[in-house]
Amino acid sequence: MGNKITINPLTRISGFLQIQVEVEKNQIIDAKSSGMLFRGFEKMLRGRPPIDAIYFTQRICGICSTAHAMASTLGLEDILDVSPNKNDEMLRDYMHGCEFIQNHIRHFYQYTLPDYVRGPEIKPLYTTNNDYRLPENLNRKLAQHYLESIEYSRLAHEMLAVLGGKVPHSHGIFVGGVTVNYDASKFIKIKSILKSIKDFVITRMIPDVYTISEYYKDYFENGVGYKNLMTYGVFDTYIEKELYYVGPGVFLNGKRQELDTSKITEDIHYSWYEANQVEQDPSEVTIDENVYKEGAYSWVKAPRYKGYSMEVGPLARMWLSGLYTRGISTMDRTIARTLEIKRIIEILEGFLERIETIPTVQGRYEFRDSGYGKGLIDTTRGALGHWIGIKEKVIKNYGIITPTTWNTSPMDSKGLKGVIEEALMGTRIQDVKNPVEIGRIVRSFDPCISCATHVQSDQYSPFEIRVV
Amino acid sequence: MNSFGGNHLNNTSFKCPILDSKDMTAKKIIDLAIKEVRSSEYKKLNLIWLEATGCSGNIISLLNAQNPDVIYLFKEMVTLTYSNSLMAAEGEEAFQQFLDTLETEFILVVEGAVATKDQGLYNVIARYKGKLVTAMEAVKLAGEKAKVVLAVGTCASFGGPSAARPNPSGSVSVSDFLDREVIRLPGCPCHPDWVIGTIANLIAFGMPELDEKNRPIIFYGITVHDQCSRRSSFNKGIFAKKLGDPECMFKLGCRGPITKTDCPVRQWNGYVNWPIEDNTPCIGCAQERFPDGMEPFIRY
Repeated sequence: MGNKITINPLTRISGFLQIQVEVEKNQIIDAKSSGMLFRGFEKMLRGRPPIDAIYFTQRICGICSTAHAMASTLGLEDILDVSPNKNDEMLRDYMHGCEFIQNHIRHFYQYTLPDYVRGPEIKPLYTTNNDYRLPENLNRKLAQHYLESIEYSRLAHEMLAVLGGKVPHSHGIFVGGVTVNYDASKFIKIKSILKSIKDFVITRMIPDVYTISEYYKDYFENGVGYKNLMTYGVFDTYIEKELYYVGPGVFLNGKRQELDTSKITEDIHYSWYEANQVEQDPSEVTIDENVYKEGAYSWVKAPRYKGYSMEVGPLARMWLSGLYTRGISTMDRTIARTLEIKRIIEILEGFLERIETIPTVQGRYEFRDSGYGKGLIDTTRGALGHWIGIKEKVIKNYGIITPTTWNTSPMDSKGLKGVIEEALMGTRIQDVKNPVEIGRIVRSFDPCISCATHVQSDQYSPFEIRVV
Repeated sequence: MNSFGGNHLNNTSFKCPILDSKDMTAKKIIDLAIKEVRSSEYKKLNLIWLEATGCSGNIISLLNAQNPDVIYLFKEMVTLTYSNSLMAAEGEEAFQQFLDTLETEFILVVEGAVATKDQGLYNVIARYKGKLVTAMEAVKLAGEKAKVVLAVGTCASFGGPSAARPNPSGSVSVSDFLDREVIRLPGCPCHPDWVIGTIANLIAFGMPELDEKNRPIIFYGITVHDQCSRRSSFNKGIFAKKLGDPECMFKLGCRGPITKTDCPVRQWNGYVNWPIEDNTPCIGCAQERFPDGMEPFIRY
């Protein structure tokens, strides 16, 4: 038997995560990742007006609300058979891009940096661990950038608000496109902000991540995991090369494959949920919470693709788009996230050259009695799916699988570990009393537990739930 | 410490609330608070920012603060001792800082509702000495000892989205859970100025003037409708037929007439915009019955 280490709260993420590992001879031999918050959005959504889901589902998550606005809108458009014109689509994607920038800057400087750099001397941003390796002058410089970065993540949200009203929980992304009437004043405001953010990213953030990687080279060797990657695609409806980022795809057992979303399943064996029968017909699934369930250890369920645990997020996208090929590890994940901002900024610049100052096209949307739609899109943390069933003009069933559900899932009934769990396995811990490696590996996935814990039930279920 | 500012605030009669809200913006109060903080006798209070059952969007909104920003808030106004999102420490060491703060004079900020189902196990915030600590226990522990409790956001203030029907986690507002005075700063999320302005008020002038629902009047005194930039369109009876239209959205279900915030004059995110100027209705996100009582958000 090895030593058990529990980290709870695993701070500097969004929401509540517990990591438990067992260490033998300074090596992790078992790992469990537990989501520690449940709110039950799918249950709440039942019976509500479908169109309200755009604003309602944003309340799932304060750091990536725009992601839910996007997935929800796409799902509703699927039901209504509505699609935006290209101008409005570019405006909508611009807003989504702003969220990537906001998230990635905050994740790198506020959440990740204190793992590698002694923070600015302001309580409680400052701590000491025994493995800070940067020389004093470089440490001071990066700690200063921590402070400077706050202005730029704020500005990313300001751009979003110019087009979306306010943020978090914006209003401007809507069925049919957007609600903003774009004009020259908005154009020049967001263009100038984007330029200042770009300068920051190029002259500070990207050099900073490479500085860290220089001093923590061993982090290219740990946190590797399954190396199975997946994306639903994002910024992929454009034929222009400057605007296109990455289409749907998977990287499985070392090979690229087409994504087949019908191969997604969910498993609740080790999650605090119970189903009324062991084998479930997809159209009659019912599950409920049971926090006292024997053997269960998380509010997060275990989604699988063809039975595999799939890593999602910036590295998966950068890898599948061919923009980043160095490797898959803790440090590669962190570098890929930073480089992705640059790619997103270039796409947004492309939009600015093309979006015209014409009024938005909005309609009055009437739902038929029943319908079914899905909105699948890659968002800051990876593949996000909303599956929406409507009956008698209200939401009958609403299923959500978030990126963090993929990354922080517990084991499934076959004993296959979740992505983060597997990434921790085998990790060498220098000092079991100060196991800094764990937090560094886990944070490289940018978990968002507020998003991750959901219960999917009732009719119109798009996927099979295995409980055996 | 309140001699100058206290007199100024308390002796102001609110004859014209619109004018007053314009005069007494958060910025002005903050400027005075900063002066107060800088004066020699002021001792910085500790502040716990406790995330409970919610989306953690209020701390993200706080990071959007400007003049002052969060760095100023934490350097010059209060000492942040606990924040799940921001603190460098993790695990038991992090929670120890929460416990240590309880022995000091501190402000408790709670964002998110209090999940009460199954002894609060729907929201566990830490493990301490081998035992799980629920958000419910943490709110109780800190709520009983805090000098002031601020419920930030609509979940903490009124239950909000976390308590939306059928309320799977048994979530209740902080005031319903704690048997003590709680200042409510609703909004989904709460505007950073509303939080920092209230803290500034506490530092410089003591308790802000509150309405019957314990909301500071300077931010929540007037309805959105009363200060709305589209009010003249309403008065003339010209209404928008769909989102994107430039007219009053009353007939699309706008909740501005019943929602009390200063959004129309303050605006959001660098003061650049707000939902109605984005051609969408106010959905009453700062109101007591949000979201259940505010639906449908859009009436077609």
